[in-house]
Amino acid sequence: MVEDDPKDVELTLTALEDYNLANEVVVVRDGEEALNYLNCQNEYSERLSGNPAVMLLDLKLPKVDGLEVLRQVKSNEALKLIPVVVLTSSHEEKDLIASYKLGVNAYVVKPVDFHQFVNAIKELGVFWAVINAPPPGS
Amino acid sequence: MSNVKRYGFAVVSVFLAVLPGLLLQHYKFHDAELALLLFAVALTAWQAGSGPAVLSIVLAILCFDYFFAPPLYSFDFGPQDVPALVVLISGAVLTTWFASIRRHIEAELLTARDKLQQEVAERTQQAREIRVLNEELEKRSLALEGSNKELEAFAYSVSHDLRAPLRHMAGFAELLQKTAGSKLDDKAQRYLRTILDSAQRMGNLIDDLLAFSRIGRVETQKAAVNLDQLVKEAMGEVQHETHGREIEWRIDKLPVCYGDRSMLRLVLVNLLSNAVKFTRARAKAEIEVGCGNGSADEVVVFVKDNGAGFDMRYVDKLFGVFQRLHHVDAFEGTGIGLATVQRIIHRHGGKVRAEGALDRGATFYFSVPKFKNGIKA
Repeated sequence: MVEDDPKDVELTLTALEDYNLANEVVVVRDGEEALNYLNCQNEYSERLSGNPAVMLLDLKLPKVDGLEVLRQVKSNEALKLIPVVVLTSSHEEKDLIASYKLGVNAYVVKPVDFHQFVNAIKELGVFWAVINAPPPGS
Repeated sequence: MSNVKRYGFAVVSVFLAVLPGLLLQHYKFHDAELALLLFAVALTAWQAGSGPAVLSIVLAILCFDYFFAPPLYSFDFGPQDVPALVVLISGAVLTTWFASIRRHIEAELLTARDKLQQEVAERTQQAREIRVLNEELEKRSLALEGSNKELEAFAYSVSHDLRAPLRHMAGFAELLQKTAGSKLDDKAQRYLRTILDSAQRMGNLIDDLLAFSRIGRVETQKAAVNLDQLVKEAMGEVQHETHGREIEWRIDKLPVCYGDRSMLRLVLVNLLSNAVKFTRARAKAEIEVGCGNGSADEVVVFVKDNGAGFDMRYVDKLFGVFQRLHHVDAFEGTGIGLATVQRIIHRHGGKVRAEGALDRGATFYFSVPKFKNGIKA
């Protein structure tokens, strides 16, 4: 999960806890960290190799922007199989268009309503971690 | 040419004609003198005008008589000199006549040229003015574009940045409810619920405000719009609000109008939704849609209901942004529906109006341009 706002991180993890998925989540706080993690670089050079089964990506990120991360992931042979779900407050058309053009797998607008937010996270979690078959090697 | 020059020209030319004549005479070569004098006279008439021409004629005759007509060197004048005289005079007359024609044409050409020059100067001036105006127009439209972009950025920021804290407020209030709710007394729980409701309401307000601002920013796409069809679509959209209700719909035939389809659809949806909402207290709701007395260019459409109505004293506030004339407990809503209707209709160049009475229903009128075959009204 790529998310800079700690409160959103907490809400998301709390929602996923109900399905015991919280432990499986790696949280990075900005675009640069995300790319480092995916490429096993710098602070993540020692991590266990393998791609995440899904990436929840916020768009408004410090340092490297969400769309830029998306672009790099989808243009990298080693990373482009990773399913990316953009999870953002914005439902501005230009963000939708840009994300889909870059090949995003899903675009979810964070609901304002907390209930709906939690439900959305749960449904996302269930779908991507349980129902969906991840790319081999994840 | 100045007068001195002109008359001087006459004298000189005659003099210059006489000299070779004398020379020729010396060599016994007659008959050429007249031709030379004629030439001098003609030249004078052509170049110097009629006055000097007369002088040159007189001088030529005198010289001819004196130098070349027998008896030589005398001013005797006999009938044998008349032909010479006639020749000289007619030569001069003819040349003068041609000269005057030429001068006349010349004068006309000059005036024509001056007029053309003046016109050219005027046109250049006009072209310059147009260029200045164009530059100013470009500057203004650039400024407008910039201002529009600023508005877009503002709306984007609102949409993004305001929503996040809202979600956190709602989210953590709920978590509080979940984890500590049982430990709280009724009052505290009510406070918590108030926090949650307010967060929800703020979210609705933000959404509505954004949608409202979008109407002003987006370009309208005008075409012929079948109002009958649009009313049916709008009715379909408010269907989910009418479950279990008894509503009598009276829809008149409406003409085809000219406007932006999606925007006009929103107008109808808002008005019908309002009608459905405010007739909730009625056992049987009556909602009527029809068209009234427009003009040759406009259609006036109305939506009438027998619902809660409103106090006509506050009719001016009705279309304000977030203005509500009813308690939020009685009827939900942010108060943006009518403001949206007004904005859209104004963008179509029309007007909105409302009539109503407390507890006796309300009628909302709006006007749109009629669609005239091929040409917009």
